[in-house]
Formats: sequence, C-alpha cells, structure tokens
Amino acid sequence: MSATGAVARAPRGGAHRGVMGVFTYVDDAEAAIRALRADGHRDLSVFSPVPYHELERAQEQRPSAVRWVCLAGGIAGLSGGFTLCIWSVLQWPLVTGGKELVSLPPFVIIGYESMILLGGLFNLLGMLLLARLPQRRSPAPYDPRFTEDRIGVWVPASGDGARRAADALRGHGADEVDIHA
Amino acid sequence: MSERVLPPGAMPAAGAPRAAGEERRVMTQRSINDDILRLIDRPGPVWIAAFALDLVVLLIGALALRNEVVLGLGVGGWTRPVMWASYITNFVFWVGIAHCGTLVSAILFLFRSHFRRAVYRVAEAMTVFGVLTAGLFPLIHVGRAWFGYWLFPYPSQRQIWPNFRSPLEWDVFAVTTYLTLSSVFFVVGLVPDVAAARDRARNPVLRGLYTLMSFGWTGANGQWRHYYGAYLYFAALCTPLVLSVHSVVSWDFAMSQTAGWHNTIFAPYFVAGAIFSGVAFVINLLIVMRKVFKLEHLVTLDHMEKLSKLVLLTSTIVGYSYLTEFFMAWYGPSNAERDVFLFRYFGHFWWASWTMFTCNVVLPLLLWFKPVRRNMTVLFVLMLFVNVGMWFERFVIIVTSLARPFEPYAWDVNYHISWTELAVTAGAFAWFFMFFLVFVKVLPAFSIAELKETLPAPKRRRP
Repeated sequence: MSATGAVARAPRGGAHRGVMGVFTYVDDAEAAIRALRADGHRDLSVFSPVPYHELERAQEQRPSAVRWVCLAGGIAGLSGGFTLCIWSVLQWPLVTGGKELVSLPPFVIIGYESMILLGGLFNLLGMLLLARLPQRRSPAPYDPRFTEDRIGVWVPASGDGARRAADALRGHGADEVDIHA
Repeated sequence: MSERVLPPGAMPAAGAPRAAGEERRVMTQRSINDDILRLIDRPGPVWIAAFALDLVVLLIGALALRNEVVLGLGVGGWTRPVMWASYITNFVFWVGIAHCGTLVSAILFLFRSHFRRAVYRVAEAMTVFGVLTAGLFPLIHVGRAWFGYWLFPYPSQRQIWPNFRSPLEWDVFAVTTYLTLSSVFFVVGLVPDVAAARDRARNPVLRGLYTLMSFGWTGANGQWRHYYGAYLYFAALCTPLVLSVHSVVSWDFAMSQTAGWHNTIFAPYFVAGAIFSGVAFVINLLIVMRKVFKLEHLVTLDHMEKLSKLVLLTSTIVGYSYLTEFFMAWYGPSNAERDVFLFRYFGHFWWASWTMFTCNVVLPLLLWFKPVRRNMTVLFVLMLFVNVGMWFERFVIIVTSLARPFEPYAWDVNYHISWTELAVTAGAFAWFFMFFLVFVKVLPAFSIAELKETLPAPKRRRP
C-alpha cells in the first residue's frame, strides 16, 4: 500500500502491527467486516470518505454518547444563566417601578441563550473527547485515498492471525492488502 | 439511445447544463474532491483585483470611522430625535444576513432537505462573517468602542452588573451565543473536508493550516460516529438559537414604548425578514461562484430554484407582516401608532418605505414564474433588489418611528445620512467580503463529504 505519502503528513501513523485492506466497494468491505468480526476481530478500524450505514451496521455501532455530554452542558447553561441573573440582581439591586427584583420572565432569555451556548460547547468538547481528537498519531496506517474514494479496513493482528485476516480481506474483494508485521 | 457504463458510485451530474447532444458530466467521489479542491489555488488576477478593491473600500470605511472616533458621533449623523439610524440599521441588516447559514445548515439538516448539501458551506461562511460584521455596529454606535467589554457580565471592583431585564443585554447574550455556535458549527463542518485538502496540499503553510484545522481527522469509524452524533445536536441547538436571535433583536425595538415598534408581531416578522434577506444574499453569492468557478454541475439550477422558492415564501410572510402592521395601527386604539404608519408611507421618508415595499413585496412576486427562478441573470438582479429592500426595511422601522415620537414638539425630519455613515456602511460590506474572498481561496467552499453522500454508495452487487 502506498501509505508513505500520508505518513509524512498529519496524522502520522506509529508502529502498527496488523493488516490493512483497501476496498472500492461498500458491500465488499461490509462482508469483510462481518467475516472478520465472526472470526473474533472486534477491534477493527474502518476508514471511509463518508459514513456508510452498511459499515456502521456491520460493526454494530451504538449511537454516540455525545448526546449526554450535550445534555449536561445544556442543564449547566440553563441553571448557570438563571443563577447569574438572580445572584447579580440581588448583589446590585436595581428596582424598576417597585417590582420584584427577581423577574423570572426576562431572565428566561438569558437562561435560554446560556443553555444553548453551553450545550453547544459541551457538545463540541464531547465530540473531541469521544472521537479522541485532535490526534497526532493515527491508530492505524493512514492512506490519503480514505478522504477520497476508498475504504480501509484495519485489523490489528500478527503472525497467523494476520495471515488469516489478510486471506479474509482478499477473499472479500479487497483491492490491496498489506500486512504490517 | 446509447448506454454508458458508469464507474462504481458515480452518477450523472443532475441538472447540469448540456448543449444538444452533449453528455452530462459524470460525478464520482474523486471528481468531487477534484472539483472543490481546485478552487483552492493560487489567486488569479480577478481575485487579486477584487481583493484590492475590497481593501480600498475597507480603508475608506476605516478612515471614516477614525474620523468619527476622534471628532465624535455627531459626524455620524446623530441628531435628535433620530439617535438610532444607519448603524443600527446595519446591525440588524447583517444579523439578518447571518440567518440564512443556520437555516440552511441546521434547519434543513433536521428536515432532511438534501438540496442543502450543495449550498450550505457558502451559507455558513456567510453567517459567520455576517455576525462578525454585525458585531461591529453596536461597538461603533456606542461611540467608545474600547469600553465594549462593559456589555458583558464580569465581577468588577465596582460590583456593577448589567441589567438583565434590558433587551439590549439579551442581545449581547443572543448575538455572542450565535457568533460562538455558528463559528463552531462552521469549523466542525469543515473538518472532514479540510482533511481532504490536507492530503492534497503542496503549499507547506496551507498544509500546516489544514493539519491544524482537521484535528488529525482520518475518517475512521470512531470519528464519524461521534462527529455525526455531535452534528445532529449542533443542528438541534442552532435551530432554536437562530429563531431566538432575531426575535431578541426585534425585542430591542418591540420592548420599548415607541410607536411603530411596540408590536407583538415583531419577532416572527423579523425572523422571516432575516431568512428572506439571508437567502437572497446567498443566492447572489452562489450565482457568482458557480459562474466564476464553473460549478454549474454541483450547484445546479434546481438548487437555485429551491432557494428562490424560500425567498418567495419568506417574501409573502414579510408582505403579510407589513399589511398586518398597517391594519393593526388602523384598527387599534393608539392615535400615535396610526400617525406613525401614515407618516411612514406618506410623510418625509415615503421614498424609503415605498422602496422597501416594492423591493420586498412587489418584485419578489416575479418568483412565482419558473422561468424567472431559473434565469440566473434575472434572479441575481432580483436578489440585489431584495437586499436593498431589506436594508431599507430596517432603516424605515428605525428612522421613521424615532422621527415621530409621542410628543409632537419633538417631531423632526432633520436626519440625513452622512458621508461618514455611508463610508462606514460601505466599509462593512468590504469587511464582510474580505473574509469571504479569503475563505473561497483557502478553505473548501463546498462540502466535499456531504456532496459525496448524494452519490449512490459504490457497490459491486447492485441492490
């Protein structure tokens, strides 16, 4: 595989042991992933220029947990916005027309905007943490064609396991198979 | 009829213009990379000339602003009773322009309107640069921009806090949240495409920039999973945000007791107007880009037609709002309200009101006709009129109401737009286009990853 050009650019690959299969067709890659998983390879890495539902299903991917991080941010923002308004208006009383200092209806705007702001920022943080971004080293050898039109299936394996994985990848239509020993 | 064998996952470019007998271009995943990444190239003479002209206009605006900072706000046309004029007009105009991006990228994403894929990056960039432009005007307007940080709540020695019951403070929260999240949404959306640009870049500076902006993206399944998980929630958060931001901007007016402003219709009326002007503006940008960069096969006539239908829809909402305002003034109990609306359309500033009405309500009626929606020259001119009309809408709302306060002795029509205001307004456009021109030459201006999703998945065994 001509991955050397990519290695020179970020993200760099480290010392990897395993097999990389490069596919043109999604259904070939899907069949290879299913066969490899059935053979006990659970820690596959799959690279693709767009997310394919077929590959997600083959890997039995669960929904991202980022939504809980986003929810936590939203709750923090909402409560923080209201707290800021109420606390500061009690610190610096500005009586208008003899009305209550703690005027909840206008504070809804601040609470609402703060909820969206922190929800969004937590969402970003959650995505970066869960997807392990930014990353300097790819967990598998990277090929620039993966951002173009090819699908890569990386199987961490060595010895006989690597050879069996290479056979499985070839048998399911991989265009190229490289063993990184 | 001849048959063609297409490469896996390829499809003829939909709606691409063809001469008689000419075959449609075939789009593949690789051709999409090629088509979009070729825009990132050494700037040509047209780009350099446009950028130089832009900088000259920006310099004129900056000099006018310097003049105003040194001499005072009087040179900016400030005079009683019209103490909010073109600067606040510009603020509302640019916030409005900024609304299209989030509409296209977030709301249409949630509604699964796939035509957005070809146009949303340009709209998002327009949003970010539009908010950056809008944010200048409150600072210019307050006069002492260097005290701008007083707008934000922070613990100070004086223990003074902003008045959270003021719509102006709501605006600070709404606009800064909008700027932050629209920028985050824009940058996150760029990640897979910037990684594709990184993998091809030859220029070391650009490659360094793309490496930084791509966060080490490889397109691994673990990355896509969390990326699209987060993208959905960004869209879900930005949708209520975009509706709230222009509602809050409208409450800058509607919460006050000024005749012509104190209306409950303002929030939906402003939101519709913002989408109206924003979509018109993005149509203008797209028409130029698809022509200059020869991208008619990616941004097709169908895309442009769908956007122009959005303009038509929002134009009818805006027109309905104008008529409702007038009706409510006539039907309601307030003499002052009735007087302001008569003054608005038949008083000193009648020309501005009728320009607004003609450009925003009458001319967009042409969009009912399909040949108009698919004729790019006519559409371009029409959208320019819409934007002129929407600038005047904000001018009319602000200036006519302030020129006609409750106390008749304070009525005055002495406001004239000054050269300083004109130069700063032109400078704001130059500020926006400075960012936009750089964006077009440095970042992928169309979404590579999402355009690829419009192609059928490459399969050996056809379903």
